[in-house]
Amino acid sequence: MTALRRRTLLRAAAAGTTVAVAGCARDASSVQAAVVWNGDELARFRAVVANFPAPVRVIGVGNDIDSFLAARQSAGTSPDVAVLSRPGLVVEYAERGWLSSVTPTTSYAPPAGLADLLTVDGQRYGVWIKAAHKSLFWYFPSLLEEPPKTWDQLVSQTRRLAARHRADGGPAPLAVGAADGWVLTDWFENALLDVAGAGVYDALARGEADWQGQPVQYALDRLAELWSVDGAFPDGGRRALLTQFEESVIQVVHHRSAVMVFEADFVDAAAARFRRGDEQLSTFRFPGARHADKPLIVGGDVAVAFAGSAGGVELVHWLSKRTAFGPWLEAGGYLSPNLDVPVESHRDPLRRRLAEELRAADTVQFDLSDRLPGTFTGTDGVGIWRIMQDFFMEVTDGTAARYAVSRTTRALAAAARAARRRR
Amino acid sequence: MSRVPLLGELAVLDDVGAPRRGRAYPAEGATWALLAPAVLLLGALLAWPVLRTVQASVTSDGRWVGAEHYRAAFAADGTGAVVLRTVLWALLVPAVVTVLGYLLAVASRRSQEGWLVRLILVVPIALPLVVTGVTFRLFYDPDPERGLATLVLARLTGRAAEQAPQLLGPELVTVAVMSAFVWAWAGLAMLVFRAALDTVPADLADAVRAFGGSRRDVLWDAQWRPLLLRTVAVVFALVAVGTSRTFDLILVMTPGSVRDEAAVLALRIWQTSGATTTGEGAALGVIWLVAVTVGMLGAALFIRQAWPLPQPPAVPAPVAPPPRRLVRLFAAGAAVAWLLPLAALVFTSLQHPDRAAVEAWWSRHPTIESYAAVLDNPELWRSFRFTLMLATVVTVAVLIVALLAAYPLAWLTGPPALAIGLALLAMAVVPVQVIAGPIHEVLGMGFSSGTVQGLALVHIALGVPFAVLVLRNAFADLPADRIRAARLSGWHWWSMLRLLVQHNHRALLAVAVLEFVQVWNDLVVGLLFSAPAAPLGLFLQSQTREFVTSSGTLAAGSVLASILPVLMVLLASRQIVAGLVAGGVR
Repeated sequence: MTALRRRTLLRAAAAGTTVAVAGCARDASSVQAAVVWNGDELARFRAVVANFPAPVRVIGVGNDIDSFLAARQSAGTSPDVAVLSRPGLVVEYAERGWLSSVTPTTSYAPPAGLADLLTVDGQRYGVWIKAAHKSLFWYFPSLLEEPPKTWDQLVSQTRRLAARHRADGGPAPLAVGAADGWVLTDWFENALLDVAGAGVYDALARGEADWQGQPVQYALDRLAELWSVDGAFPDGGRRALLTQFEESVIQVVHHRSAVMVFEADFVDAAAARFRRGDEQLSTFRFPGARHADKPLIVGGDVAVAFAGSAGGVELVHWLSKRTAFGPWLEAGGYLSPNLDVPVESHRDPLRRRLAEELRAADTVQFDLSDRLPGTFTGTDGVGIWRIMQDFFMEVTDGTAARYAVSRTTRALAAAARAARRRR
Repeated sequence: MSRVPLLGELAVLDDVGAPRRGRAYPAEGATWALLAPAVLLLGALLAWPVLRTVQASVTSDGRWVGAEHYRAAFAADGTGAVVLRTVLWALLVPAVVTVLGYLLAVASRRSQEGWLVRLILVVPIALPLVVTGVTFRLFYDPDPERGLATLVLARLTGRAAEQAPQLLGPELVTVAVMSAFVWAWAGLAMLVFRAALDTVPADLADAVRAFGGSRRDVLWDAQWRPLLLRTVAVVFALVAVGTSRTFDLILVMTPGSVRDEAAVLALRIWQTSGATTTGEGAALGVIWLVAVTVGMLGAALFIRQAWPLPQPPAVPAPVAPPPRRLVRLFAAGAAVAWLLPLAALVFTSLQHPDRAAVEAWWSRHPTIESYAAVLDNPELWRSFRFTLMLATVVTVAVLIVALLAAYPLAWLTGPPALAIGLALLAMAVVPVQVIAGPIHEVLGMGFSSGTVQGLALVHIALGVPFAVLVLRNAFADLPADRIRAARLSGWHWWSMLRLLVQHNHRALLAVAVLEFVQVWNDLVVGLLFSAPAAPLGLFLQSQTREFVTSSGTLAAGSVLASILPVLMVLLASRQIVAGLVAGGVR
């Protein structure tokens, strides 16, 4: 019996029994939503959907939402709606026929390039409901007088600060949470977008470009140039590999053992909690080759509706409204991916500025690792996360950049091939 | 994660030993009705999923592909290292735990402060492995400002704190996880050895001495040959099977950058397939399944051969002098070493949540703000209520199903008894990661996966084999004349069952406590079979994502989650050991 036929049989049996067992999964009156969030973000989202006409049951699943949904699908008990942070998953699910196509409201306007990520064969399968600005460096102005404007300036400043750090134990130039693989992939993506341009970046994401080609090599060369600076990180690269993202923020805002930390707009939550003194963090954009070059990488979360769920389609439609996320905008810490949402409705000044940058940028590229297929997309110890951590380990440990780069591009190409084969 | 019974193998392994029940009382017509619930559960949620996994490992979309998945799984980067590491775990760690357990049992046996040492060592047994993981990640924190072990290592090696060896770094992370596991299991080994040593007839040692035997001869002829050989085998096998639980520890203890350096098969399968079945994951799973089963059965048969003649119950008569000073020092040292990680956990939980992320846990005056923050979290309360409800329901259900099934099985003798014993044993050690995908399919047919009922059903199915084994052994040990008397006076089988229950309340209590603690402490079943609410293990694990910044509340939550299982195991420890060992000594 083929798996397909067997699955159909299972589904039929399931349909027969679940009706009898009172259909606990698909209750017509209430909608079930599985989301990637935990903690604060989960609470905020609950506040948002409290305004939806029907009751919504929200389950916070966390990062393993893919295996959660796959298991639910095989059991025939998918939720009505899922919120995912990987558009790659949306495409995969849609191709397997798990999803319903959705229609957003007229007040839904995501940045160009983002909406296309959610369409398969001309059908739209999800809407963007939250954005993250992933091209920011954070620093205290008292420790860094002049923020670098180009990549070369960043490197030279890092060298200078590192020399001082080695000499008199002043703060190291950079903090990096390399224990979390996504931090390193965010570094890589910014560098890649700047050296390769949107075309190649996009082709890599679609699996159409060669990972061993020159653009990837150049991007890795760049990172190696910066990361291999002796004394670049507090207590060295091996310690950085055991430092998680939020701890790296602590190194800057609390211990002041590092001057700059690169990451997304949500740094401000950790910074507010652990900051000592009154000084506020400032930001500068991830620098490109020239003054004018400012790569902009965004991440974000997508809402999708599962096949056969009318309530789910309705909820996704409702979430695409300009006004839906009012409570979260009000609470702060939320950047809307909907360009129709007025900039002024973002409560904190930082988000207001970022919202403007989102509108001003001529190219907005979505986080590359979140677009990659299968296990290549990365999680702890797996895929591109792991590959970038190995690369970081090598260049901070004194391996020649040339060797590290060629080994890494080989690993990336192999992982891309394996992911394609498995699909 | 396989359901590795805590103290179970004692009784379990015994039973596949010499067929020592010479009284065949065939069950009445109700046999099949009594067996039906257990057979249905185990068939649908264990046996069938295992078959499906085997099928998935040799097919692709229903097409026969032979060994292709196996080849692909082994061609994947690092699989060889993962398999080697799993084998290392299964050989090295049990050896260390066995030796430590024996030494601690001897050292803490007759001294006055021995009870304190035992108490300290028994607490880690009851902790959820997630909590053990949290404890050791705090203890081994690479920042000497927070990690006591790192600070001590830096002092010992004479290096600057920043250059100190990193216990969680790529080279040492496996050793670090192993040490946490030894910490958690040595107490159990100690308990078992202690129970064994207490049953060694004292006059045997006297006899050896009377014939001019040295200390070594006493150890060899009065302890090793009659008893310890078998106990060592039991403990070794028990811990070896237990090493498949490392999954929880690895997930909590290792930062993402070193997870691969610590990975074992359990983790690799989960990384490859999650809660579904993929060809490669299934292939790895089948390999693991075969290894676990073969190892388990091999151990069972080995122990059977090593099984000595049944001994008359010994009257423990402490004739030996109290242990020497060196031995007592060893016990005291062990107690301190075991206490330090616990101190790290408790004192971190007594820090302000924000301070716990940036300062040493030994530097501040305690506050209860982390507890306040945790108790303020409605998710924790939901999780508590849910776990309590789940563990209670599962325990009751397992007891009922197992009682019914154990009754007819207890009358079997000879090869059928042995065969059923081995089959139950094999089912008790099936690693649940391997069969998660097919279980989801089965749940989807009847109930629904992703519901509370589904989660409870999986727990019940995983708990039943072990419970049946223990209860069957206990039942089979009821003195034959009592049964004969009962039957002659014309009792029905249900009166018989009642008599058995009354006579075996210790075994029942042991099974109930162990099952409850098992479910309460679970992470992996909750992870693979998520329900609308998160069980405690999953709740804690989800907070370890940014470990350092949540360490204060995480420690507080861990302490709160540990209170109930620790109390239960401590209060019932005597009954647990007695209830489980009962079949063995008689």
